[in-house]
Amino acid sequence: MLFRRLFLCALFVGLLTGLFDSAVQRWQVVPLILAAEVFEEAATPPKAEHAHADGVAHSHGPQAWAPQDGLERTAYTVLANVLNAIGSALLLMPLLAFWNRQRAGQPLALHKGYGASVRYGLLWGAAGWVCLFALPALGQPPELPGMQAAALQARQVWWTLTVACGAGGLAMLCLVQAKWRVLGLGLLALPFVIGAPQHAGSPFAGMEADVALQMQQLVARFVVATAVASALQWLLLGTLSALAVARWLSPLLNPVAPATRLEGTAS
Amino acid sequence: MNASPSLVTVNPTTASASVPAQLVAALLLGLVMLYAVGFSEASVAHNAAHDVRHATGRPCH
Repeated sequence: MLFRRLFLCALFVGLLTGLFDSAVQRWQVVPLILAAEVFEEAATPPKAEHAHADGVAHSHGPQAWAPQDGLERTAYTVLANVLNAIGSALLLMPLLAFWNRQRAGQPLALHKGYGASVRYGLLWGAAGWVCLFALPALGQPPELPGMQAAALQARQVWWTLTVACGAGGLAMLCLVQAKWRVLGLGLLALPFVIGAPQHAGSPFAGMEADVALQMQQLVARFVVATAVASALQWLLLGTLSALAVARWLSPLLNPVAPATRLEGTAS
Repeated sequence: MNASPSLVTVNPTTASASVPAQLVAALLLGLVMLYAVGFSEASVAHNAAHDVRHATGRPCH
């Protein structure tokens, strides 16, 4: 059954990508988060409600559980990365599969070798990075702990809108007939016409001037580090997803295509 | 009796009709998982996935 096999492929691809992503984050991203948390704890935020992962009350509730710093926190981060990658694979693979099927299985056909799959996988992975990281980051750059920002829900709504418009806009630009392409550009621009929710005042309010300056430098590095880390994650995810679709899913996708693999090595 | 008739039993019409539905089901499952990791309000989920939310540029606080 297609769904079952697709799910197993997503688990496999997500596990590999999530572990890889955790390693990449450990190198540049996590140290910056930890450094920002030192400043966050030292500062006295206006409402003292943003400290977390250190046992101090969080805005969601005074007794909120949080993983202990160190191994436990790393373990939960790895777990969240794996789940995040599985979820991303479950988005990317059905789209790749559908796209491949609409083209009669040609782009990801394996009889010409793995080259085409890798190439299209990188392209689709790049598209995933643009939609789920780059476009939202243009309006709402990745934040470090301790930064003040606009209301959470407004930012989540804008993030979701931007991702949806980005996916729809890219699909129109790249996948449909020429006359609809202008609409794709409009869709890509729509979230920025509306505008991301803005926070009135400094994101470093409540911090000493020199701490705010250091936070500013951390944020600049953080934006680059997260962009690189998530790009690597999406490129790997796209490549592995395309290979999985070509190798394991395409036999189930194209029942009218040459029937030689139809009853193949179904797992 | 032998292997070849089994190829005929696959009905292309029903098979192709269910393929998009199964793909959409997988896609929805992916959306639910991404929501759980990135947006779930529960403080346990928030704190467990905290660093990943920051690292993937999702609104966190």
